[in-house]
Amino acid sequence: MECIKFEYDVDGENFSSAGNASESVKRTLKQMGVSPVSVRRVAIAMYEGEINMVIHAHGGKAEVEIYPDRIDIYLKDRGPGIADIDLAMKAGYSTATENIRSLGFGAGMGLPNMKKYSDEMKIDSTVGVGTTVFLRINF
Amino acid sequence: MKVAELAEKAGYTVFSEGEDREIENGYCGDFLSNIISRAPDSCAWLTVMNNVNVAAVATLIDCACILLCEGVAPDDALLARAKMQNIWLLGAKENVFEETKRVASLCGI
Repeated sequence: MECIKFEYDVDGENFSSAGNASESVKRTLKQMGVSPVSVRRVAIAMYEGEINMVIHAHGGKAEVEIYPDRIDIYLKDRGPGIADIDLAMKAGYSTATENIRSLGFGAGMGLPNMKKYSDEMKIDSTVGVGTTVFLRINF
Repeated sequence: MKVAELAEKAGYTVFSEGEDREIENGYCGDFLSNIISRAPDSCAWLTVMNNVNVAAVATLIDCACILLCEGVAPDDALLARAKMQNIWLLGAKENVFEETKRVASLCGI
């Protein structure tokens, strides 16, 4: 099936550009006439993923494939990896520092929100190597 | 009620302006993950969080305006981004509870 591909660099050095990739995808989907509910789900899931890469992994890459009936998102980083994925998926569990919490993050809702608002989610992570999160959202 | 009228009637500080939209709802919170997943469209978002991530979240949730409570002013990065993206960013003196009551009463929500 035909798809539109985008690739974004997620800058891990500061928070000022965090959310740029999600906003760009949101704008594109809106222009394509995707339903507001689906656009919102994509925006939530992707923003949480983007923020995770900034907080935990010094940034990374977001690859996006938009199909007529769905979006596939690959969030790839070379961060520290996730040692215990089940624990990381628990609502309220977070390894974010006090400094990160003071910015309004670190509620331990990032991965749970990504799971909740996507139709498919896969985490492939190796400690010391990095993490790839796959998200699929059907329109 | 639209944002400009609310700002005028409530005497809020206007840090940044955007499209003058109807306020249909409200949401209060500082944890960005809660806000992004729960705040309704076209809401007034009341918070004391004043960093640049607030602008990114406001854009993603499509809120009508951000209302910084308790006399909080935006930091430089938030102010710059709100202006660049035409996001309504208002400032209020009282705490979130008091300002929520004011917004609800003025907007009839």
